[in-house]
Amino acid sequence: MSDPSTADNRQDVSKIETRSLRVYRYKRGDGGEHFDEFEVPVGPHTTVLDALRWIQHHRDPSLALRHSCHHASCGTCGVQVDGSEELACVCQIHDHGDRITVEPLANLPIITDLVVDMTSFFARFPHEHPIIRASGLPANAEPPEDLEQYVRLEDCIECGLCLSACPTAATAHEYVGPAALASAQRLLEEPRGVQREDVLAWASQPEGLWRCHVGLECTRACPTDAIPAERIMALRRELTFGGHHETKEHQR
Amino acid sequence: MSRTALPGSAERALPGPVHHKGAGPAPNGWLDPRGRAVGGRAFALHRLTGLMLVAYLYVHLCVLSMLLIGNSAWSSFVALVTSTGFLCLDVVLILGLLFHGLNGIRVALVGSGLLVSRQRTLFWTGTVIGSCAILFTALHVFGALR
Amino acid sequence: MIEPGRYDAHVLIVGGGATGGGVAHDLALRGVRVTLVERGELTSGTSGRHHGLLHSGGRYAVGDRESAVECIRESTILKRIAPGSFEENGGLFVAVCDEDMEYLEPFLDACADAGIPAQRLTPEHALREEPNLNPEVKAAVRVPDATVDPMRLILRFFATAQRNGAQIRPFMEVKDLCVHDGRVCGALLHDHATGQEGEISADLVVNAAGPWSDKIAAMAGVSVPMTPSPGVLLALRGRLCNMVINRMHKSGDGDIVVPQRGLSVVGTTSWVVDDPDELTVPEDHVERMYAEGSKLIPAARSAPRRAAWSAARPLVGAKGSGSGRELSRTFQTFDHQQTDGVEGFVTITGGKSTTLRGMAELCADLACRKLGIDEPCRTRDTVLLPHTAYYTAVA
Repeated sequence: MSDPSTADNRQDVSKIETRSLRVYRYKRGDGGEHFDEFEVPVGPHTTVLDALRWIQHHRDPSLALRHSCHHASCGTCGVQVDGSEELACVCQIHDHGDRITVEPLANLPIITDLVVDMTSFFARFPHEHPIIRASGLPANAEPPEDLEQYVRLEDCIECGLCLSACPTAATAHEYVGPAALASAQRLLEEPRGVQREDVLAWASQPEGLWRCHVGLECTRACPTDAIPAERIMALRRELTFGGHHETKEHQR
Repeated sequence: MSRTALPGSAERALPGPVHHKGAGPAPNGWLDPRGRAVGGRAFALHRLTGLMLVAYLYVHLCVLSMLLIGNSAWSSFVALVTSTGFLCLDVVLILGLLFHGLNGIRVALVGSGLLVSRQRTLFWTGTVIGSCAILFTALHVFGALR
Repeated sequence: MIEPGRYDAHVLIVGGGATGGGVAHDLALRGVRVTLVERGELTSGTSGRHHGLLHSGGRYAVGDRESAVECIRESTILKRIAPGSFEENGGLFVAVCDEDMEYLEPFLDACADAGIPAQRLTPEHALREEPNLNPEVKAAVRVPDATVDPMRLILRFFATAQRNGAQIRPFMEVKDLCVHDGRVCGALLHDHATGQEGEISADLVVNAAGPWSDKIAAMAGVSVPMTPSPGVLLALRGRLCNMVINRMHKSGDGDIVVPQRGLSVVGTTSWVVDDPDELTVPEDHVERMYAEGSKLIPAARSAPRRAAWSAARPLVGAKGSGSGRELSRTFQTFDHQQTDGVEGFVTITGGKSTTLRGMAELCADLACRKLGIDEPCRTRDTVLLPHTAYYTAVA
């Protein structure tokens, strides 16, 4: 197996494949929003995040971007790639053309460059926001005697891609958005100490549940199995018809 | 100045620009159904046909107001709107009405949490029903079924 | 609870990862004024990138007892102060071949010696609890491993520190340290949000820059023996297990599968680099993760790849000719007044994500000693705010 510390990384420059990245830039104080274009070397598995960090390290250290886990689990690296919401860490360069535009997410204030302010995103969630839930996957697993059940982290990684993609959120700026509503539905499915009436009251607020116009872009943009659209509809069904309506534990 | 003050603090405290997706081309805007899945396409067309129907309603009311003007104005108007070109526009109008109506049923169902996992099936079922209906309507409008 | 900023002393922490967050939280609870700066997003250095294992210490029981004891102690504390942050299903060490079986007895003895609860299961029992396990499993031992979301756990420390008066500032890079008469008295900062630069003064600067510790130390004219040691990790689509599955053998490549939400993370390999900003992801390492991971869970072989990435462990110790696995995973503080005659500057580095609170306690003790502040550590029993409070509960 290779030892990368000794590998000869020099390559014949003429054979290195490159892509052109057009990156949104904004520094506070000078007021200007503009795009910078960079030529970036790419390999077979290069992601948009790899390319952006290459730019940071080799071309422009002032490029600001959010990232953390590098495997679609923390939800910090959300951006728009050619207008589509993506997590930069798993968005493959080769799924896009020769000239790729990278912009920050929509519907959230921009702090700088590709960094958005997540304060307003988190402010939209219901007050109770547990991130651990029961785990029914893999199926047929028997928990040990000392565990009531297996548990796992919630599917939603709070990345904001759904809020950015939502056509209602584009014009109704106070709309709580798909992630917050999906989180509320999860509280109905698995209360974890939260009162049902509180959740339903929260969801029925003017900027809540009924603002959704069934665009279904949120589930399409969602990088995990959080299925926000289905959860919003499940919530609506409970409010419309009463009773309990649950979604099956979902795995693509 | 306090010794714990950080550079750029004043500017960081200001609200930042927010990008909203407008009506532009897909995938940036909601209007363009290209590059979208069924849900997004239906949404875009629903908004378009809705706007179209509202515009038509206004036109329709204006037209009806012609009845107030008199017989001859009405007769020449009728001659215009029974011309082939206008009948084609009628078919387009009815197509829009069918789409908005049938998709509206789909949105009402899905939006109440019913048949959510079958929203694509609903869309294509509506398409089939709508296609049959528009075919029947077109034949009727152009007199084939008289 | 004492009031924030009770003491005039101002500490500047360089580095917004697990270490920095832990130290900021500890010092804030002692009433010290804290400013923390991080050049990028919090946890974007290396802390956010590990596979999410909350160590029981089992992996270190044989061979690095000190780290093992630290892990079992700290993981127990973390479960208490950060409830609701962990997939607390436990972990298994499994033997899949005869060679592994030779490790079984030393492993059980070492766990007992280090105070790590270890319970042997029959293969049938293990397969009932983890149906995707290699059906050839010969022995299984249950330990109190758990899964954590690294970024969210660390963010709880930042949220609590911020609530207690700490000033947390990401996208603020240290360009240089201000040194006068053998004393570090502050830093020159560059704000990436505005492009502005400015100086900040501090009574003490804490270097918590992880794999970049030596670069920060060099700004003060001192050195720390930092060996960044990356490894490749592979995230597979599909939750293949609920417990952390470890291979029962001496530390090696691809000997762990960590469940995380709907993913399964296989890790890892090890090599050493000079520059932690230049990390590659060699495809043969990824292939090895598939190969070794499927020895633990055969279904891993055909699971689709969600992501493959690398992250640099901050190992304390001089660079040798090895892969990095021979260096200890324990942590160290450096009081540069003692080691290099430079006052006002300490480095805290090394360690594992699991021991972040313990590392911070040691560093905060040192910091307070140097500042002449007599306050006990309160982090063992202070329950942390939820991670969302970092955004929504700004004081």
